[in-house]
Amino acid sequence: MKLSSLSISVIALSAAFATAAIAAGVKDKPKQGKSIGESGYEWNAGGGEQDEALHLKPDLVNGRDVYEVCAACHLPEGWGQTDGTFPQLAGQHPKVIIKQLADIRALNRDNPTMYPFALPDQIGGPQAIADVAGYIQKLKMNPEPGMGDGKDLEHGKKLYKENCAQCHGEHGQGDNDKFYPRLEGQHYNYLMRQYQWIKEGKRRNANPDMVKQIQWMTERDTKAVLDYVSRIKPPADKIGQKGWKNPDFQ
Amino acid sequence: MNAMFPTLAAILAVAITSPAFAADGAQLFVDKGCTACHGEDANTSLEPGYPRLAGQNADYMFNQMKDIKDGKRANGLAPDTMKPILEEVTEAEMRALADYVSGLTNPAMAAKPADGPGKKLYATKTCIACHGKDGKKPIMKTYPYLAGQDKLYAFNQMKDIKTGARTNGNTNAMKTVMHLVSDQELEAIAEYLSQAK
Repeated sequence: MKLSSLSISVIALSAAFATAAIAAGVKDKPKQGKSIGESGYEWNAGGGEQDEALHLKPDLVNGRDVYEVCAACHLPEGWGQTDGTFPQLAGQHPKVIIKQLADIRALNRDNPTMYPFALPDQIGGPQAIADVAGYIQKLKMNPEPGMGDGKDLEHGKKLYKENCAQCHGEHGQGDNDKFYPRLEGQHYNYLMRQYQWIKEGKRRNANPDMVKQIQWMTERDTKAVLDYVSRIKPPADKIGQKGWKNPDFQ
Repeated sequence: MNAMFPTLAAILAVAITSPAFAADGAQLFVDKGCTACHGEDANTSLEPGYPRLAGQNADYMFNQMKDIKDGKRANGLAPDTMKPILEEVTEAEMRALADYVSGLTNPAMAAKPADGPGKKLYATKTCIACHGKDGKKPIMKTYPYLAGQDKLYAFNQMKDIKTGARTNGNTNAMKTVMHLVSDQELEAIAEYLSQAK
C-alpha cells in the first residue's frame, strides 16, 4: 500500500515537471487567427485589444517612448527603407496602425521579423498601441520614397482610378474610419511585396474584396499601378523636408 | 498512512528537484564531451568557427541542440560534429546542459564594446533591434546574445542565414533583413562583436 502510493506520487510529480517544461517552451504564443480562404474568416473582425486601443486617447509623449523600439527598423523619422525592406509608417492612419499591430501580435498577420516587437512586454498594452499610432500619424512623410522605373505611369494611373481609388482614395490617402491604409508615397518594393502576398493569400489578414479585385491584374498592370502609387505626392502639410531628422531621437 | 502521505510527497518533491536527482548540467558538460570543443569554461573555442557558449540564453541553446539533433539545423559544422554527440543526449539532459551553461560567465558582457566600422553597421543594418545594444540584450529568450562571440562562427552563421543554408528556429525573422548586408559588412560586424572581451 505504501509502495503503490509512493509510485503514484512519483508518477504524478514527474508528469507535473514534464508538463511544466513543455508549457515553458510555447508560452506567450497566442492562438493563430483564421486566415483568408478559411471558412469563418472575417476581415477586420475586431474585438480584443484592437477595440480597446481604438477607444483610448493617445498620449503622444508615451507614443514617442513606445516608438523608440520601432525606430530601429522604421527609422526615427518613420520613413522606412527606400528599398522596401521596411515600410514607411510616417503619416499612416492611426486605425490602420492599430489594426495591423493588433493583427501581428495576435498572429493574424505573419511577420516573424516584427512579431517580438509587437508583444506586450516590448511595447505595452492597448494604451501603448493607441499612443504609438497617434505618434506615427503626426510624423511628416518621406519626400523621396522608393519608386518603380517610371516607364508605364499613364497605364498605372488609369488602373488606379478604375480599380483602387474607390477604397484607397483619389490620391491614395486611404480612409482612417474604414481601416484602409494611406498608400501615397509608400515605397514601391514594399507595395509590390504586400500586393503579391495579398493576391496569393499569404497575407492572412487581407481584405477579401481586394483579393478578388486584383486577381486579373498582369505583371505589367501590377508594376504600373504600384509605380504610380509610390509617386503620388502626399499633401504639402504631410510631407517632410528632404534630410529631416526627427529631433525626438537626436 | 493518510498522515504519512503528505510527508512522503514533500520528501519526494525535494528529492526530484535537488541537483542530485535531476540531470547535472555541469557533469553532463564534461561527460558528453562538450568541453572538448567549447572549452571547460564553455567560452574557449577549440578553433575558429566554434561558438562561445558561456552565459548564452538557455532557451536558445536548448532549441539549437534539439534542432541539430532533429536535423533541422544542418548548416556548417553541426551535422558532422554536434549531431553524433547529441544522438546520445536526451531532451532532459539538453535542458540541464542549457541551464548550466547559461549560468556561466561570459566576460564580454562586462567588457567595453569595440570600435570600428562594424559598430555602426550593427545599428544601421538593424541587428541592434533584436540582439540589443552591443549584442548584450536580445529581446527574446529564444534569441542569442552576440557579445564576445567567436568571429568566424558569427560570420558563418550570418552568412548561412543569408544564403538559406541555416533555416531553423527564428532565423526566418533575420533572413528578411540579410539582403541589406554585404559579405564584407558581415565580416566587419563579426569583428566588432568578437572584440568585446
